[in-house]
Amino acid sequence: MDGFPLQQKMQTDLEIDLLLEAIFRLSGFDFRQYNRPSISRRISNRMRMDNIPTISHVLEKVIHENGFLEQLLNDFSINVTEMFRNPSFFNAFRREVVPYLRDYPEIRIWHAGCATGEEVFSMAILLQEEGLKDKAVIYATDMNEQVLEKAKKGVFPINKMQAYTKNYMLAGGHHAFSEYYKTDYQYAYFHPSLLKNIIFAQHNLVTDQSFNEFHIIMCRNVLIYFSSDLQNKVHYLFSESLSNNGFLCLGDKETIRFEDIIPKYKEIVGDEKIYQKIE
Amino acid sequence: MFNKLKVGIRRKITLGYIVIILCLLASVLILNNQIISLQKERNYIIKNNSHIHAVTNCIEKYILDMESSQRGFVITGEPSYLETYYEAGEKWRSDFNELYQLFENKPTQQQKLNEIKATIEHWITTSGEPSIEFKKENKAEAIWELYKVDVGRKDMETVRAQFESLRSEVNASMQAKVNDLDKRNSIVTHTLLGILVFISVVAIIIANGISRSIVKTLTQVTQTIQEIAASKSSQKGRIHVRTNDEINDLAVATNELLDILERREWLQLNIAEIVTKYQGICAITKLAETFLSEIAQKTQSSLGAFYVRETTDNNIQFVKKAAFADARDDVGIESFKLGQGLIGQCALEKKILIYNDIPEDFRLIGTSLGEVPPKSIFIVPIIFENDVIAVVELATMTGFNEQQQRLVKQVIETFGLTINSVLGRMEIVRLLNESRAMTEELQMQSEELQAQSEELQMQTEELTVINEQLEERTNEAELKTRELEQAKRELEESAEQLLLNSNYKSEFLANMSHELRTPLNSILILSEMLAENSQSNLSDEEAEFAKVIHSSGEDLLALINDILDLSKVEAGKLDISFDEMNMSEVPVQIEQTFAPVATKKNLQFHISKEKNVTDIFFTDEKRFKQILKNLLSNAFKFTEQGSVNLEIKQLGQEQLTNNMQDLSADWLEITVTDTGIGIPKDKHQLIFESFQQADGAIVRKYGGTGLGLSICKELARLLGGWISLQSEEGQGSTFTLTIPSLPNGIEEQKYLELAIHEVGATNEVHELEEEEQLSEVQEFSQHEVEVFQGKNILIVDDDYRNIYALKNALEKRGMDILVAKDGIECLDIMQSNGGIDLILMDIMMPNLDGYETMSIIRKQLNITDLPIIALTAKAMKNDRDKSLEAGASDYISKPLNLDQLISVLRVWLVSKGS
Repeated sequence: MDGFPLQQKMQTDLEIDLLLEAIFRLSGFDFRQYNRPSISRRISNRMRMDNIPTISHVLEKVIHENGFLEQLLNDFSINVTEMFRNPSFFNAFRREVVPYLRDYPEIRIWHAGCATGEEVFSMAILLQEEGLKDKAVIYATDMNEQVLEKAKKGVFPINKMQAYTKNYMLAGGHHAFSEYYKTDYQYAYFHPSLLKNIIFAQHNLVTDQSFNEFHIIMCRNVLIYFSSDLQNKVHYLFSESLSNNGFLCLGDKETIRFEDIIPKYKEIVGDEKIYQKIE
Repeated sequence: MFNKLKVGIRRKITLGYIVIILCLLASVLILNNQIISLQKERNYIIKNNSHIHAVTNCIEKYILDMESSQRGFVITGEPSYLETYYEAGEKWRSDFNELYQLFENKPTQQQKLNEIKATIEHWITTSGEPSIEFKKENKAEAIWELYKVDVGRKDMETVRAQFESLRSEVNASMQAKVNDLDKRNSIVTHTLLGILVFISVVAIIIANGISRSIVKTLTQVTQTIQEIAASKSSQKGRIHVRTNDEINDLAVATNELLDILERREWLQLNIAEIVTKYQGICAITKLAETFLSEIAQKTQSSLGAFYVRETTDNNIQFVKKAAFADARDDVGIESFKLGQGLIGQCALEKKILIYNDIPEDFRLIGTSLGEVPPKSIFIVPIIFENDVIAVVELATMTGFNEQQQRLVKQVIETFGLTINSVLGRMEIVRLLNESRAMTEELQMQSEELQAQSEELQMQTEELTVINEQLEERTNEAELKTRELEQAKRELEESAEQLLLNSNYKSEFLANMSHELRTPLNSILILSEMLAENSQSNLSDEEAEFAKVIHSSGEDLLALINDILDLSKVEAGKLDISFDEMNMSEVPVQIEQTFAPVATKKNLQFHISKEKNVTDIFFTDEKRFKQILKNLLSNAFKFTEQGSVNLEIKQLGQEQLTNNMQDLSADWLEITVTDTGIGIPKDKHQLIFESFQQADGAIVRKYGGTGLGLSICKELARLLGGWISLQSEEGQGSTFTLTIPSLPNGIEEQKYLELAIHEVGATNEVHELEEEEQLSEVQEFSQHEVEVFQGKNILIVDDDYRNIYALKNALEKRGMDILVAKDGIECLDIMQSNGGIDLILMDIMMPNLDGYETMSIIRKQLNITDLPIIALTAKAMKNDRDKSLEAGASDYISKPLNLDQLISVLRVWLVSKGS
C-alpha cells in the first residue's frame, strides 16, 4: 500500500474505518484497535479470494450478505499455533515456574487467545507430568467460538504430529509423546483425561473484563495483532487479573515494554518472556 | 503583651532583695530606738538617783553644819559661827526645793520630804534659834536648861533617820525601775529574734515566689517545646508565655523560628510530595497532568494549563499537555508560539509573571454553582539548560501568597530536568516501540503467511480429497457390488467346504479311534490276562513281555482318547455340561491321585487352597479335572527333583477385566508350579499346539504325544477360561488355569471375545496378540490400509519373539517387514535397500546397540529424515535422552502397546504434506 498515492491511502483508511465500525456494530467484535496493516492485509486477502474490487464492496457484503460477516471474522482471527510452540519456553516453564507452583494449594491458569487449543493441551500435558494437573484449572479463552469448538475436541491433524513430537521432546517431555494420543488416518486424538479441569470459554480481550484472579496468565502471540494502545489496555487487564507473584507468559516476540506496566513485573526468564508480578 | 508592664527576672530578684533589706532596716531602726530609750532611761535613773543622793547628803551636811556652827557659837559666842549657820540655813532650803522638785510626781517621797522639812524646822525653832538667842542674851542658864533637855539632838536623829528612809525608798524605786528596764531589755531581745524569724520567712517566701515564677514559665516553655518536638502533624503548636519577661522574649523568638521552620517544612514537604508524585512517570502527558494537578492543589489554583515545547520543522510551539480546572475541562488554548500573548511572552523572556489585576472579561472560573473571575494568574516558565521547555499557567480566585509562589519557583527548578529526561525516555521508548512494532510486524506477517499457506493447503487438500473421494466412490460402488457378490459366493462355498472338511476329519478321527479301540480292547484284556500268568505256564520273561504289551496298549489307549478328545473339540462335538462342583473336594481327590506318583519320584507335593475360594463352583467338573490332571502329570513328568505345587486362588474383583466381569463375577486361578526342566521362551507358544513338544530330545527322553497341553488349552477355552505359562529353562514352569464359574453355561460368541486371553509366550507378544485379535474383529478402513500399504518397515531387534509378534501385526496392515537382528545387520540392510520408510529400533542388542546404530545412520550415512522409532525400556529417562541424542525421531516404551505403536507409525508414515 506504500506505493499508493496519499489520496488513495486516506481513502483506504476511511474505508477500513467504516468497515471495522460496521463489524463492531453488527457483531460486537471490535477490531478498530487492531494492528492496522495486519487487518488491511486480511481484508485484501479476502478481497483477492472472493474477487472483490474495493473495501466498500466488502462493507456492503458485510452488511447485506448472509454469512459473509462470519467469514470475514474468521479471516481476522489468525489461529496459528503449535503444540509446545517454542519448546524452550516450556522447558523454562518447567524449570523456573513449576517449582513455585508445587506449594500452591490450587493453580488457576488463564490461557488468553488459546485458538485451537494446542498450547492448552501442551500445558495440560506438562502439568500432568509434573504432577500438578489435579490441582490446576486452565481457563482457555478465545474470542472465536469456532476455534474453541475445535479446541474442546483435542483433535489435531496427524501431519502436524511429527513436528509436535519434536517440540514435545525438546520441551523436556517425560514420556513418549505417543502415550497421549491415538490416531486414525487423518487426526491424532488426545486423551480425554487431559481435558479434565480445562474450561473453554469465549472471551474477548478487547471488550471483556477480567473474570477471576489467576496464578498464571499465558497470552502468547496474541498481542502482536493489537495496536499499542490496545496492548497497553490488555496489559492492564492482565496485571489486574494476576495474583501477587503470579506469572505472565508472553510470546517470544512480545514484551512488556510499556512504561506503566514494567514496574509491576520482574523478569523470571527474559528470553522466554516469563514475568512475575511483584507486589 | 504590650499593655503589661515589663518585669524582668533581674528586676524581680532585685525587688525581692530590696524588700528583704527594707525589712531589715525597719527592724534595725525599731531596735535602735528601743535600745536608745532604754539607755536614756537608765542614764536618767542613774543621774537622778545620784543627784537625789547628793542633794540629800548636802541637806544633811547643811543640817550638820547648822548644828555644829550653832554649837560653836553657843560655846564660843563667835559670831563667825553664826555666819556659817545662816549660810547653811539658806543653802538647805534651796537644796530642799530642788529635791522637792525632783520628787515632783512622787507624792509619798514629797510627803517624806515635808516631814523632814518639818523636823528640821522644828529643830531650828526648838534648838537652834533659841540657843543662839540665849547666847546672845547670855542666858547661860537657859542654854543649860536647853541642852539639858536637848530637844535638838532628838530632832537631828529623826532627820537622819528620815533621810535614811527616804534614801532607801528612792533606792527601792530605782531598783524597781531597773527591774522594769531589765524586763524591757529582754523584750527587745525577743523582738530581735522575732524580727529575725520574720525576715527569714519573708526572704524565703520571696525567693520561692521569684524562683517559682521563673521556673514555671521555663518549665512551660520546655514542655511546649517538647510537645512541639513530639507532635507529628505539620501544624505545630506554639509556645504561650503569660509572663512578660526574658522567657517571653525567648518564646517569641522560638515561635518565630518555628514559623520559619514550618514554612520551610511545608515548602520542602510539598516539593518532595510533588517530586515523589511525578517520579517514575514515563509519559509526558501523565507527568504534566500529575504535576499540574499537584501544583494546582498546593497553590489552591482553580485553573491551570501545562504546555510543553515541541519543535517541528524549526517551528517552536508550545502544546497543551494537561489542564486543570475545578469544574471544566476545556481550559486554555491548545498551543501558542513564542511571544504570543502573555504566556508566550513569559516563555520568550524566561521570567515568572504574576498578574493580580485581572481584566473583567478574563475567563471565568466555573463551578457547578456559578462562575467567578479569577483574582490573579501566575505564569511560570520551566527552564532546562537555559531553554524554556515548558510553561505552566495557574489562576486562582484568592491570589497567590508568597509561600505558594516560592513553592512554585522551587519546584520548577528541578522539574525542567525531569521533563527533559521524560521526553528523552519517551523518545527512546518510541524508537523502541517502533523497532518492536517492526519485529512484531515481521512475526505477524510470517504467521499470516503460515496461516495463509495453511489455509490454501487445507483448501486444496479438501478439494482434492473431495474429488478423489467422489471418483473413488463411484468406482468402488460398482466394484464392490461385484466383489461382494463374488466374495459372498466364495465365502459360502468355502464355508461349506470347511465344514465338510472339518466334519470329515473329525468323523474320520472319531471313527478311527472307535475302530482302533475295539481291537485294542482285546489286546489289553488278553495281555493283562497273560501277564497275570495264572496258570504259570509262561516263563518270567514272557510274563514281562505281556506286561509291556499291556502298558503300551494302555498308552496307546490314552493317546487314542486324547486324539478323540481333540478331534471332538475341534469338530465342536465335545459336550460340555456346566454343573455344580464342590471345590472343597478337589484337593483331596488330587492328593489321592498324585501322592503315590510324588512318593515314587521322591518329589514334594503341596496342594494349597485359599480360604476365600467358594465351595460351589459351576463348571464342567470332568473337563476341569482333566485339565488339572493333565497339567499335574506334565509337571511330575518333567520334574526330577524338587517339588510340584498346586494352588487354588479366588480372583479379586480388581483383577478382573471388563470382559471377564461380563462373563462372570466368580473366577478361579489354579496354578501348577514345578521345579522341572522348564521351557525355553521361544517354545512357550509352540507347546500348546497339537503334536508339539519343546524339542525332539524331550520326546526322546520323556515320551508323550504332545497332545496334552493343546487339549488343556482347548478345554480351558470351552470352560470360558484360558491357560497361561511362565517358565524359564532349567528353573521350572508355572501353568496357570483361569476359569469362571458359569452357572448358566457360556454363549457361543463369548468364546471369540475370550480368545484374546489365550496364552501368549511373553507379555509383549501376549499384548500384541490381544490387540491383534481385537483388530481382527474390526475391519481396517480403506485409508488405514492406504497409509500403511507397501511401506517398508525395518525391525531391528535381537529378540525373535518380538520380531515375530511385530511382524505379524504389521504385515496384517499391509506393511512390508524387513528384519535385522542387530545394528550391524541393520546397517547392511540400509546400504543394500534404499526404500526403507521407517525403522523400529530396539536399544539393547548385541554387537552394535541401538544408540550406536542410530548415530551411524544419522551421522555417517547422513540419513536425517528417515523416521527411527526407538523402543526403550519404560521409566528410564536416561534411555530416552540418549536415544534422542543419538537421533531417534520418537520413542516408545516397552512393553509395546500395539495401539500406541500403530498411532506412532501413522504419525511418522503419514506424509507431512498430506
